[in-house]
Amino acid sequence: MQFKCNQTLPERASHIAIKGPGGKCQRGDGTACFIANNVATTPGDMTERGCTYAGCRGVVGGPVKDAIQLTHGPIGCAFFSWGYRPHLADSDFHMKYTFVTDMNETNIVFGGEKKLLQSIIEANAEFPNAKAVFVYNTCSTALIGDDGRDVAKQAEAIIGKPVVFFECEGFRGVSQSLGHHIGNETIFRQLVGSVEPEGDFSRSINIIGDYNIKNDIRTFEYLFEALGLRIIARFTGNVSVDDLKIMHKAALNIVHCQRSATYIADMMKEKYGTPYINVTLWGMKNMAKALRDTAAFFGLEARAEEVIAREVARIQPYIDAYRQRLQGKRVFIYQGGPRVWHWIELLRELGMETETAATTFGHTDDYEKIFNQIAEGALVIDNPNVPEIEEILTRRRPDLFISGNKERYLAYKLGVPFVNGHTYDTGPYAGFVGMVNFARDIDKALHAPVWNLVHRYARPAPAARYAVHGSEEVES
Amino acid sequence: MRQVAFYGKGGIGKSTTQQNIAAALASMGYRLMVVGCDPKADCTRLLLRGVRQPSVLDTLRDVGPENMKLEKVVVQGYGGVKCVESGGPEPGVGCGGRGVITAIQTLETLGAYKDDLDYVFYDVLGDVVCGGFAMPIREGYAEEIYIVCSGEYMALFAANNICKGIKKFAERGYARLGGLICNSRLVENERALVDEFARRLNTKMIHFVPRSKDVQRAEINKKTVIDYDPELPQAHEYRELARKIDENDEFTIPTPITQDELEDLMREYGIVD
Repeated sequence: MQFKCNQTLPERASHIAIKGPGGKCQRGDGTACFIANNVATTPGDMTERGCTYAGCRGVVGGPVKDAIQLTHGPIGCAFFSWGYRPHLADSDFHMKYTFVTDMNETNIVFGGEKKLLQSIIEANAEFPNAKAVFVYNTCSTALIGDDGRDVAKQAEAIIGKPVVFFECEGFRGVSQSLGHHIGNETIFRQLVGSVEPEGDFSRSINIIGDYNIKNDIRTFEYLFEALGLRIIARFTGNVSVDDLKIMHKAALNIVHCQRSATYIADMMKEKYGTPYINVTLWGMKNMAKALRDTAAFFGLEARAEEVIAREVARIQPYIDAYRQRLQGKRVFIYQGGPRVWHWIELLRELGMETETAATTFGHTDDYEKIFNQIAEGALVIDNPNVPEIEEILTRRRPDLFISGNKERYLAYKLGVPFVNGHTYDTGPYAGFVGMVNFARDIDKALHAPVWNLVHRYARPAPAARYAVHGSEEVES
Repeated sequence: MRQVAFYGKGGIGKSTTQQNIAAALASMGYRLMVVGCDPKADCTRLLLRGVRQPSVLDTLRDVGPENMKLEKVVVQGYGGVKCVESGGPEPGVGCGGRGVITAIQTLETLGAYKDDLDYVFYDVLGDVVCGGFAMPIREGYAEEIYIVCSGEYMALFAANNICKGIKKFAERGYARLGGLICNSRLVENERALVDEFARRLNTKMIHFVPRSKDVQRAEINKKTVIDYDPELPQAHEYRELARKIDENDEFTIPTPITQDELEDLMREYGIVD
């Protein structure tokens, strides 16, 4: 598919591909090379990527529930990284507060180290129950060369708790993805293994790469516990600093988000020899497989089958009912990274097929997993920009668009039913139970009465016969 | 109002020369303002006879932008010269370059340039190490630049580098080079060397300031030579330099040379073997 909006941006062609016959990648630039990904954005491309700070503060560090989340930078950096991601926790402190050194012009000129130290001490005095202080560096404080590592060391000596300094300056890297990596590395280096608890950890696991969006973890942690396993740490949804300190004791790591968190699983494997398995905790088949794979590691297969049978018996009737209503619908999924390939199978279980798939910051391994699962003829696009999304919605006319809140109104304006996959409409969506919520939200989006009104009374949504930008006719 | 910026290698005698020129122009009846753009805040010491004035950035930090007043940071020195120091952070912290930008913008907001000034001098530290230290030669500020140098290799090397910066700005249409001021270090063949160096840079050596112990003597007394003893031969040199600057009408876009050319030039004039 040639994008009309990319006439002036030929570089975008290498980021767009179709799964050709035999599963081969056919790129928009005419080559059979694999889709280009994780590279710097082309100037002129209205990318939706975030920054390294966003990836570190917003995704990996932010969900830790009993740490003071302190941004070392101007106030805007703190506000726009606070509360937009519902990584919930059972805590009165978590997400209610965000902290910032509020660097202003004279602080930039004279340096922010003293202000940072003072902020750490003050925040700790106000909230003495916090277990650690997480400090995130921003562009401005990095440019003036504030030595945050040293300040963190000084502060640790004064307040007597871990002060973790993340060198996640926004200008580093090509997307928020580097921020995930820095978040993993810093937590691993500063916290993991800093306490050696006594006890038997032979039947314990960590859930790696789940951020408890709208309480996702509640939908599956009881299942692992039903196998007789103890969950030490959830990296990093609803997790406490104390859990992170002892997470190296786990016998097995279960890696869910394989983009933002495989890093720590790899580091634990190297340093502590902890094995890990990759799982998908969305959808009936995948959730069952995750339980079976975990059980196989511990020799608990029989118990896993009991748990699965009980859950499936309870949930499958709902899924079957929704499949009747959703059968045959064609979907466009656009997520940050792995959710795209996590959900292809889930949607098939609901009778739906993913026809277009896109990620903001996926790497080659994410795209390989997408290509392995999607049907021939499906379109894959890396780091799509708004005009491209608009063209996909108007020319490919998916029955459903699963994306994030920033695309919601674009979809509505173009008459395409929409579900918020980033932070969920009415989540959680994970596990067996969550899938019912997901199916219900999809059903509500597809069969909302408003579509009848739109089709009868409103002007028709732009269709293929209209060019998106300009007056020329476009071939699809 | 003519806005003039002085650049040059650190320690070359830039501030001393600049203050003596200011004093000379003041003694000729001109009204001047000197803006020191060095975090060390030592560009107006001689004009103020050793009085330490509060810097713009220190004051801004202490009282906040809403309570900022021009009177707090502008002090009258020798001959009615208005003296301002931008100030800046201690060595090793913060951002001195951003400090220069903030200080100059603050002065503008406070209306420091509205007075009937004949000259505004900017005295800028050593090298143009980042965008902040090029602030005085951005559009709307200094349009004429003098580089203080000597016949020593590092001084010429720095002057050549500064010319690269000026060239960049000059191509956008504003700042021009007014000439080199040779502040003699008693290097052999110095006058001829700097003269030729200036020619290759597409400018001129506007004046050769001879070495004199009187400069040191005046400095120890916290005065410019003009202020210390206007009859000294060195005071005459500075007045001569000031007159040449006042009458100067040759402003050029410099043509920086390569490092090899610079080394060849030093060899030609017998400075290096």
